[in-house]
Amino acid sequence: MVATVLRIRFRVLGNTLGRSPMQLVGFIFGIIGALWMLLFAGLGLFFVGTLDFDIARAAVTAAGAVLILGWVLGPIFAAGVDTTLDPAKLAPFPMTTTQMMIAITAGGLTGVGGIATVVAGLLTFLVWAHEPVAAIAAVVCVPIGLLICVVASRAVTALASGLGGGRRTKEVIGLVAFALVIFASPILIGILNAVQSATEQGLQLQALVSAVSWTPIGAAWAVPGDLATGSWLTAILKFVIALATLAVLWVLWFRNLSASVIAPPARSTARRKTGSLGWFGVMPSSPVGATWARSLTSWTRDMRYLRQLLLIPFAPIIVLIYSQWDVNTPFFALSGLLVGFFAGVLPYSDISYDGTAFATVMQTGIRGRADRLGRTLGVATVVVPLIVVVDVVTIAIAGRWDLLAPVLGASLGLTLIGFGVSAVSSAFLVVPTPSPGDSPFKRVPGSSFSMFLTFFLCWALVAVLGLPTVIPAAIATFTGSSVAGWIAFVVGPVLGLAVLAVGVVLGGKRFDANAPGLLAQLRSFQGA
Amino acid sequence: MTDSPSAVPPPSALPDGVAPPTPTDSLPAMDITGLVKRFGEKTAVAGLDLRVPAGSFYGLVGPNGAGKTTTLSMATGLLRPDAGTVRIHGVDVWAQPVEAKKLIGNLADGVRLFDRLTGEQLVTYTGMMFGLTRDEVATRTADLLKIMDLTEAAGTPVVDYSAGMTKKVALACALVHSPRLLVLDEPFESVDPVSAANIEDILRGYTASGGTVIVSSHSMDLVQRMCDHVAVIAQGRLLASGTVDEVRGGKTLQDTFVDLVGGRHHAEGPQWLRQS
Repeated sequence: MVATVLRIRFRVLGNTLGRSPMQLVGFIFGIIGALWMLLFAGLGLFFVGTLDFDIARAAVTAAGAVLILGWVLGPIFAAGVDTTLDPAKLAPFPMTTTQMMIAITAGGLTGVGGIATVVAGLLTFLVWAHEPVAAIAAVVCVPIGLLICVVASRAVTALASGLGGGRRTKEVIGLVAFALVIFASPILIGILNAVQSATEQGLQLQALVSAVSWTPIGAAWAVPGDLATGSWLTAILKFVIALATLAVLWVLWFRNLSASVIAPPARSTARRKTGSLGWFGVMPSSPVGATWARSLTSWTRDMRYLRQLLLIPFAPIIVLIYSQWDVNTPFFALSGLLVGFFAGVLPYSDISYDGTAFATVMQTGIRGRADRLGRTLGVATVVVPLIVVVDVVTIAIAGRWDLLAPVLGASLGLTLIGFGVSAVSSAFLVVPTPSPGDSPFKRVPGSSFSMFLTFFLCWALVAVLGLPTVIPAAIATFTGSSVAGWIAFVVGPVLGLAVLAVGVVLGGKRFDANAPGLLAQLRSFQGA
Repeated sequence: MTDSPSAVPPPSALPDGVAPPTPTDSLPAMDITGLVKRFGEKTAVAGLDLRVPAGSFYGLVGPNGAGKTTTLSMATGLLRPDAGTVRIHGVDVWAQPVEAKKLIGNLADGVRLFDRLTGEQLVTYTGMMFGLTRDEVATRTADLLKIMDLTEAAGTPVVDYSAGMTKKVALACALVHSPRLLVLDEPFESVDPVSAANIEDILRGYTASGGTVIVSSHSMDLVQRMCDHVAVIAQGRLLASGTVDEVRGGKTLQDTFVDLVGGRHHAEGPQWLRQS
């Protein structure tokens, strides 16, 4: 049964790749990326293996813990979960929940990421080979570690997207999960930071790793090393921790899955009062107003849109990591610019999220220009205030109020330029996205490469077009010139609005010509 | 509402704002000539000609994959044809899409709605998209939700509607701008008999007041009962068209359809499927 399901999985993958060359290219890039990382991992483990065994086993434990964390957090931030083997799709077949879980786990291990993880797991034998006892123990422990990777990933995403609950519960749980992730990430970064500062004092790092080796993410990887150094009791305890982790995750996943497969789709009780129109009662009654209200409703309520907004508070944190948590660097004061740069291209393909409901838009015969303008107003209503808040907060933390004007001007300029570029790009291209109400963690096959290309192109355009405001802002920051600061303050918004106007006109033209093509593509995604 | 003296009072009165203006021209409501659409090797629509008289209740029937949805998508400006023209009351859909779409109310098959909005928001949104004034939108939305029996569910997100309610709210969206032509792709699919009867009443009222309705359907009985005109298409071609009585010529529409389309076979099914 499991073998049959796996065969279907590969057949689906083959057919998908055969149908679209772009997806094949993306797939090949994925494989090259995986091979590249494996090469590094292999070389690293080989050289670590030649060092002192204590350092080597700590390195393996740390790498294994990071690997499991990656499997758990990856779907939330980047790739999403491969849903070729969706429980809902497997449900009609005569298989038990356990068989289904085995099939899904096997499917996870045989994807590109899964195979790479398995190979990485095997590469740890480059270290264990130095100690026969460790090598023998690793034959048991490495598979447990690998299984924890896949099972943890599935269990956590299943729980986070609340598959068992109703639609509303699902969304609330999702939102709470997001909030947790947001709050957890500064802590995580704090840990990373501790690791970084501890690298100067090797002892502390080892203390940290030995602490991690007692946690569910590190235990499985630490057992062989402990055995080899003769710490039998520690090794047994950690082995129990690893087994318990796997068992608990399996049970949680099992419960969630058996609930979701048999539970009827729950009806939500959340409803508005009649006559309560939300944004539709506020915006002017015109095509632009209607699009504005709908876009704004999506940006404030739809998880798939909200997920993208996570990027905004994140950009300053990224800057902080690079500046080693020094808030006094000019780079931190300028991090609002990075936020603007990222935020502007968020809607680079926003028609994708309409799905086939885009037909409703087309049926009304809306002019491309009105559609572009309405959508831009929708995203701007959410993003522009957020940018201003981030600017003010980062400037306040950095204590560089003299830079407020240039940072505001340049960050808003970059945002508006991004909107202008997006107004054009989103009339050219739609990408596969999760359907409304689906888990925002769901990965849609084949989306990565075309998304990456357009995204890169949009960024490059924004970067080039934004130079006239970024350069004066940078001059103001590094020379303290207030003239340059005011130039950035004025040029940013003016240039941004100009680019936006051009984008709306060009994008509008393209939309008028291309809308039926976009709908046809959206329909083909639905069938895929 | 028209006050045509000969007409029986329509079964369901449409609110004034939604009733279409009485046609003053003699142009057909929809005039399709030489329509062609290919998907790769496969020709979905192969040179279709179809003329739908204004004021008719027109049924479009055909087997699965006959090209009904493709034809209606091209006729309503959602799918670009490879060749051919479509005119709605004389307006070319692909040359003047904005003007043409104002004349069409469309219920497309196999597309989602913006189902995170409530029923009321969705109809309001559609009305705003057509640039109606705020008062018009409010009045028409209330009227339409009322005749669709959706007033109770007005504040519920459309995603939580049943299939029948979803069809009805989509129909309300199609009607909100008072179109002259309604194009309904499978309006009765997965709709319960009561809702279907209600929708039928609304459509009869609409044609009685001068509007034109085109429905595609698999149900021959339904088309024979409801429609005054019918077209049979298969493999992207028009096999027969005219008034329902002309096309069926004394037989039931079901039998005529099977004769025209073919493919009926009298087998008992495979051995292993027999239960005794």
